[in-house]
Amino acid sequence: MNANLLAVIMNSTIRSTTPVLLAALGSAICSQVGVFNIALEGQILIGSFTAIVADYYTGSVYLAVLCGVASGAAVASLVSVLQVKYQAADMVIGTSVNLLVSGLTSVLLYTAFGVKGSFSNPSLKSLPKINLPVVREIPFIGRVLEQLTFIDYLSYVLAAVMFIYLYRTVQGFHVQSVGKNKEAAGSLGIKTLKIQMIAVVISGALCGLGGSVLSMGQVTLFTENMSSGRGYIAMASASMGQSQPLFIIVSSLFFGFCQAIGMSLQNVIPSQLTLTIPYLATVVALSIFGRKKLKKK
Amino acid sequence: MNKAKSYGKRFAAIMVQPVIAALLGLLVGAVFIRLSHENPIEIYRNMFEKSFFNPYYLTQTLTRATPIIICGIATAAAWRAGYINIGVEGQMVTGAFTATIVAIYAPLPGFLRLPISLLSGVAAGGAYATIVAVLNLKFNSSIVICTLMFNYVANYIASYLVSFHFKDSSGDGLSLMTKTIPENTHFLQFSASNTLNLGIVIAVAVVILFYFMERKTVFGYESKMTGLNPDFSRYGGVFERQVMLKTMALSGAIAALAGMCEIFGYKYRYTDNMFGSASYAWTGLMAALIADLHPVGILAASIFLAGLQVGGQAIQRTSSIPLQMATVIQSSITLFVSVKLGIKLVKKQRKKKCQDNGGQSNREGGGAA
Repeated sequence: MNANLLAVIMNSTIRSTTPVLLAALGSAICSQVGVFNIALEGQILIGSFTAIVADYYTGSVYLAVLCGVASGAAVASLVSVLQVKYQAADMVIGTSVNLLVSGLTSVLLYTAFGVKGSFSNPSLKSLPKINLPVVREIPFIGRVLEQLTFIDYLSYVLAAVMFIYLYRTVQGFHVQSVGKNKEAAGSLGIKTLKIQMIAVVISGALCGLGGSVLSMGQVTLFTENMSSGRGYIAMASASMGQSQPLFIIVSSLFFGFCQAIGMSLQNVIPSQLTLTIPYLATVVALSIFGRKKLKKK
Repeated sequence: MNKAKSYGKRFAAIMVQPVIAALLGLLVGAVFIRLSHENPIEIYRNMFEKSFFNPYYLTQTLTRATPIIICGIATAAAWRAGYINIGVEGQMVTGAFTATIVAIYAPLPGFLRLPISLLSGVAAGGAYATIVAVLNLKFNSSIVICTLMFNYVANYIASYLVSFHFKDSSGDGLSLMTKTIPENTHFLQFSASNTLNLGIVIAVAVVILFYFMERKTVFGYESKMTGLNPDFSRYGGVFERQVMLKTMALSGAIAALAGMCEIFGYKYRYTDNMFGSASYAWTGLMAALIADLHPVGILAASIFLAGLQVGGQAIQRTSSIPLQMATVIQSSITLFVSVKLGIKLVKKQRKKKCQDNGGQSNREGGGAA
């Protein structure tokens, strides 16, 4: 294969990985504390939407990202209150929150901008692209790492931080213990409910960040339901990575690669077929790495 | 557990929650309508007039409710057994698309054309859902995620087929759709002045059949017990694997029926993404959740939700409120139902019951055990 094409695909892989990786980290932190959060999809979508709205009204990309993160966390707090505190059924809360966000973003899109379907505007700013000074000169690697945003890099840092926190600090082990045995953890004086609720909110913030990069990274627009199943793909990714942040980097890169391959094959094979690749890959990957824990769910 | 003495009282207790939730959901909608600088009362009056209180719109509502009711039952069929099938849309697409293609192209004599198309559609939908069940049995892959992924796969593949192989090129050739199905496969229409057709009868029949299957057949019982308590049912000699395969196949087959009612009764052709954009499957799911998976409740909830959508379309034409307001109201209702607003009432009843029959607690939540 020609090296240039390979570099382009790798670049595209990295870009497509970011939202999935961030959401998968969110999914992982939830399953580490024993919460089954399937509202990731909605948390991503609200992040994408709010980021674009904030971008339009403030003109600052960083404020926009912050708003995206905050909105993801806000939706997640709704989930955490209903699902963790009031013990409502996880599937019910998850699916209805996803649907709620999907409807809400469409309604607000119309109220705020008077458009249906999708919104883009020349005044919208996209995330600044980073071209590292020395690295850009290196032939192959320069291509691979060109035009990435700071969130692309940040996502790997966040994964590393999460790994260190969960597996190398006492507090991290306390967090893990909540997922392993809630009663036992509680008897040690760990505030299990609080930890679970915080974990869900963090997952919302991560998804919100992923959503922001989705609407302000490669493209600068918002489309209805633009998260298109990424929340569920992220769940698959987290489950494949056994909720361990470093493994999740690998599994998310796999899903990013499938999306990149799908996109690059669009000139050869009808796009409707290539678009199925990430979804089929998810099913195949889940079947290979199927775990007991998610059984029946 | 069904032989409660005060059936009426229990029914009232069950009904309280969805009704309160519906009112609160409408309240949430009112807030957003107010934010869009419209008068909520005026909008709602208009909305319900153009969905329930006008004979023509009522038939529209019932036509729209048809696939939603069936999707709700398809969802309930799987969820009550503990298998979280959120891929009803994919199964619907697969079944309906197959049936449409068979109806248009298969060389069949006239009187066999409709039944064979419908059967092939049911088989395709059932098979599509069974794939996930088999994957789960063999490889332990998550049903939630796989069924959802299969929605996208089905939609895209149908889109591919309709764009490249079965496209109707007789018109302007711009819209991606199949030819219309032959006249002799159309469902019976009750009146030329509206869209109401045999589909609604099928939907009601599905509800009734499901009601009896759930209560009176061995499979219905086994499937329910698997959902309530898998360990107990295994101990009691239920073959969980078989029950699962059958349950998923049934759910997929019912889902296919929903799609076919829409095509054979109303649209007469498959148009690219027709089920995705109408989100019948998700509305059916919400109806099932609101009704706590009870078939008769699903019938009522589906008609109500369909009314919101038909009313939503009407107000979209005359005001600045987009149709998706219906989705906001629907999902708020679902959320309110799920947090058990009638929680005190239900708890009290449950406690009483627990004392009555020696601690055996009643069913919990939305079947998401």
